[in-house]
Amino acid sequence: MRNLVHLTIAAALLTVSAAAQTYRPPRAPDGHADLSGIYEALNTANWDLEDHSPQPGPMWQTGAIGSEPAGESVVEGGTIPYKPEALEKKKANFANRRVNDPEAKCYMPGIPRANYMPFPFQIVQTPRGIMFVYEFASANRLVNMGKPEEAGSDTWMGTNNGHWEGDTLVVDVTGLNGLAWFDRAGDFGGKQLHVVERFTRVDPYHLNYEATIEDPTVFTRPWKISMPLYRRVEKNAQLLEFKCVEFAEELLYGQFKKK
Amino acid sequence: MSARFLFLLFTIGALLPGLSGQVPKTPWGDPDLQGMWPGNMGVPLQRPESLGTRATLSDAEFAQKEAQAKKQAQADSQSTAASDSVGIGPPSYWVERGKPTRQTSLIVDPPNGRLPPLTPEEQKLRKEARGGKGFPGEWRGEANSYDDLNIYYRCITRGVLGSIIPVVYNNGNEILQAPGVVIIRNEMIHEARVIPLDGRPHVSSTIRQYMGDSRGHWEGNTLVIETTNFTDKDAIGSNGAGYPGDPGHHSADLKLTERLTRVDANTLNYQATIDDPKTWTRPWTLLIPLKRDDRYQLLEYACHEGNIAMGDILSGARADEQKKTE
Repeated sequence: MRNLVHLTIAAALLTVSAAAQTYRPPRAPDGHADLSGIYEALNTANWDLEDHSPQPGPMWQTGAIGSEPAGESVVEGGTIPYKPEALEKKKANFANRRVNDPEAKCYMPGIPRANYMPFPFQIVQTPRGIMFVYEFASANRLVNMGKPEEAGSDTWMGTNNGHWEGDTLVVDVTGLNGLAWFDRAGDFGGKQLHVVERFTRVDPYHLNYEATIEDPTVFTRPWKISMPLYRRVEKNAQLLEFKCVEFAEELLYGQFKKK
Repeated sequence: MSARFLFLLFTIGALLPGLSGQVPKTPWGDPDLQGMWPGNMGVPLQRPESLGTRATLSDAEFAQKEAQAKKQAQADSQSTAASDSVGIGPPSYWVERGKPTRQTSLIVDPPNGRLPPLTPEEQKLRKEARGGKGFPGEWRGEANSYDDLNIYYRCITRGVLGSIIPVVYNNGNEILQAPGVVIIRNEMIHEARVIPLDGRPHVSSTIRQYMGDSRGHWEGNTLVIETTNFTDKDAIGSNGAGYPGDPGHHSADLKLTERLTRVDANTLNYQATIDDPKTWTRPWTLLIPLKRDDRYQLLEYACHEGNIAMGDILSGARADEQKKTE
């Protein structure tokens, strides 16, 4: 049965990649491919980018609700090429994830994580640039499609410069502050993090998402993740509000309350 | 004619301000409100009672205001971080004070430029909230818990109006458009409100949000946005929540109608009518003229992520208590 499921998935992926070669996306008013819409990942990358078995989550109190489903790696080659000391830091992050994961603290998720959190996001192509609006923590970023801008001060969502390669939107992200994590497993980048994303509409309902990640202070070489992003096709699909600060205050400040 | 050529034509059109009095159009034919429209600090929300129903300053009053601004700018330029006292506030040179204008109040209706009276039930609610302490306003030293502080200190949001009413910093507003959608970005706590224009109904009244649920449509060249589904945890104010003189708390029944109109090449009038019969005895309207500033850069305001003050305020209060018992 399991093999049959794998075969079906493999067949579906083949279909997607075959379609990608022939599919011509509709056009935005400026003539480029129209990627606009609401998308969401449908995988366990936010739990762990690498292969992982099912396991308890950081909180036994939430029972099966907060536990981690198994998932296959979205990393090309399977594993992230950490430097030895960085791998130790990742392990420490994992051990303390209940309190240290920026997601738990309701911090902006950074890039690439914002794209595969279990929340929808919306792409809007405007004459001023391409907006990415994320439901989680009201995070957002405007991708500059004009003359590339140099990163100013470091930010959570980065300095985003985009260009088109055919019908693929390529976004070069610099100026990331290195404080965000990539997942709940404690995977992370550092101060020199540089992410190059590629968004390709492969059929009316899917974007292919790829991100090449490099940071010589953390990794031994650049590495790549890829996954499909699924269009939310519900009638009247829209982003709702997830201003999670107040859900994180007890975690962050409860220790300082008057007893 | 290709779409790209149309786009080029449009861009040239946009570069000629006030082109035969026409409002520029997007390539797909909507009135084009796109641009960077930072707010201009300096007009009080409520009009001084002495000015009555006068909506603009006289020449003499305006000259006096300009002289004051000049004096203030000079004082600001001479101030340094080192010479300012230690505190939570920024040094005075850091503060955006705006360019003086003749407008006497942001409130343009009622005609006296002042907030209408609160309903009796709202007066009771404000008095009795949180066991008689009232809604959290300007922080006055009590910090038993994080929720003794208002949503501004907590970096949750300043709501639709609090994000656009000009204050002393982070006044950036950017409007972006695509077919069927308008986005209003506010620098204040990184808001990006996506407003559908396709006539879809509001979400269920069960769903409540700080920024509400917005629907837009065009009335001629004016973008009209109607927003409902608010929470009652938000407040309207120039500084987020409940500062003295601010409108403060509103109910979940608030219906907000915003009207955005380009009145000349460099001015976008932002008008907002607050209709909340549970809170105020009549609707009231704000007018905020926004000036185009293409050089303004909207930066990421990671308010919560950098909120060191909250932990310091609470732990400081605990340390004070400890000291008193010793």
